[in-house]
Amino acid sequence: MSESSDAFLVISINHESVPLKERERYSIDGDKVASLYQHLGDSGVTSESLVLSTCNRFELYAKIDQSINTHDFLVDELSGFYGIDKFQIHQHAHVREGREAIQHLIEVSAGLRSQIAGEAEIFGQVKAAYADCQRLRSAGKLINRVFQKGFQAAKMIRHSTPIGEGQINISNVAVDLSAKIYGNLSRTKALVLGTGEIGEKTVKALRSRGTENFGIVSRNQERAIEVASDWGGKAESLDQLGNHLARYDIILASIGSEEAVITYELVKQANYQRDDRPLFLIDLGMPRNIEAGCDNVENVFLYNLDDLARIADENLAERKKAIAVSREIAAERSETIWKAIKKRGLIQ
Amino acid sequence: MPLFGLEDRHWIIIATVVYATAFFLGTYSALKLRRKTGRPYMLSFVSFGWILQTIGLYARGLQYGGCPLANNFELAQFMVWSATAIYIFVGPAFRVSLLGVFTSAFSAFVSAISLIASGWDSDDRTPIFGDTPWIETHAALALFSYGVFGVLTLTSIMYLLQSRSLKKKSVRGFFPYLPSIVELSQINTRLLTIGFIILSLSLGIGSVYWAQDIESVLNAKLYATVGVWILYGILLIIRLRKMIAAKLFAQFAIIVFTLALLSLGFVSDEEKSQSNEEKSVSSIVHERE
Repeated sequence: MSESSDAFLVISINHESVPLKERERYSIDGDKVASLYQHLGDSGVTSESLVLSTCNRFELYAKIDQSINTHDFLVDELSGFYGIDKFQIHQHAHVREGREAIQHLIEVSAGLRSQIAGEAEIFGQVKAAYADCQRLRSAGKLINRVFQKGFQAAKMIRHSTPIGEGQINISNVAVDLSAKIYGNLSRTKALVLGTGEIGEKTVKALRSRGTENFGIVSRNQERAIEVASDWGGKAESLDQLGNHLARYDIILASIGSEEAVITYELVKQANYQRDDRPLFLIDLGMPRNIEAGCDNVENVFLYNLDDLARIADENLAERKKAIAVSREIAAERSETIWKAIKKRGLIQ
Repeated sequence: MPLFGLEDRHWIIIATVVYATAFFLGTYSALKLRRKTGRPYMLSFVSFGWILQTIGLYARGLQYGGCPLANNFELAQFMVWSATAIYIFVGPAFRVSLLGVFTSAFSAFVSAISLIASGWDSDDRTPIFGDTPWIETHAALALFSYGVFGVLTLTSIMYLLQSRSLKKKSVRGFFPYLPSIVELSQINTRLLTIGFIILSLSLGIGSVYWAQDIESVLNAKLYATVGVWILYGILLIIRLRKMIAAKLFAQFAIIVFTLALLSLGFVSDEEKSQSNEEKSVSSIVHERE
């Protein structure tokens, strides 16, 4: 019977301490990930491992025979694989072991360690990395246990704290507000005045939440037709703005204009024809495209660039406040998971 | 009459405490901890209170041998019971976060008032609704419709809160947990339709007996009840015809429900009047003997 004991650890190279130009060197895609698993497996010391590679972090979780210096071993392996000097890897890498490695995994999965605090995409990326690891037969009982329990803990954090609540970019804040007005967005129609980048982003965000009908207005009708074809929508004429206000639910204005193109009178007139449907006006123009008094009309809601930016800032501040509480939960959960792992004999 | 070792009022007091606790926990969770209380948790909590209240009302029904609708306390309790039942059995279909918190607030408040108000639960209780089960059905349906209108009032308050937050651009407080104003507006119309149908059914049953004995109902009660029915009817028609904006509709729904609650006083007056009449008849008979 072997006398050796195992260690579970994570080596992380991430945006918290390593600049982008250095992180790029560790970035690997599908084929290279497979060869790294092969490389680690061939060492005969790593019995289980998982590689997580995203634009902001490279991480290697591994179960290693503790009879050797685990930290140095992993650095040597990575140095050999990437062709990067060991000293540099030592400088870039953070290593956490045992319970702390599990806490790190939970924090990463819950978005606590993301560049944009609380972003949800990372959870999917960690799950995809775990699925790859299973497919490549690099996951054993320990990795399976750690990641499955880690996912549960991350989900709990996201569900029970405001870490992922509230949007933090302007387009998504606008879409969230639309959902607070209309609920299901699949029955809404959105009109975009202007063909700039912010309009395009908001159209994408609205489409991802169910909006299907888009109208595109530009001062140049040919440009409107072109953009409508690109973004998916119908080119509309600026001259018919009054009619559009009666027909469309969400108006996104970011058109170059010295004075407001949507006036109080225009909105008031259109509102009579709207059958009590709310009208959401989003003014992203600079100078403003929509007269400030328009939201004095009943059932009309007007938000400008500053309003959306303020909400995004408030949401981000709320997320940051939630990090401390979330870390406490991650610490508690990692302690429980680690004890259960030792009790089950998954690590000697 | 004690049931499982407790008097009916004791069951109702415990139920009121459970409703109040559900409200405080839900509010604390949303506003202070910024966490949404899961709908199943809130539903379980409120259902627990409702079961306790049901036991209390059942114990009272056993004691008096009929539906407990003989004084202001019982009317208020039955209305709270109905509103909570609507939340438990129909509420999940609306998928409205915080409806449980609002319902528990309403239930705790009205129930506490009915427990505190001296004289509401007078011992001098005469069944208001005679001795036929149809009249009891008429009363129960009427109060059940008031329960539906109670929930309508809550969703109307939610609408006004959400609409105000959107206008003021304030996305804190209850805002993240409340549904959209369009959904709330649709729910309001549905609740008014359901409540109005139930109230109409109740009045239909009552009118059959009233036609047989016009003197049996006090004019004040008749006018108040029919008045409430007409107000809700008008509100429903103008809403369905889109002649009233959602915000104004929500405001009217709150006002009409307040009037409807006040109109319950006339039902109670009728009870006193009937009770006094019976007393005087009984004293005359006694004197003759």
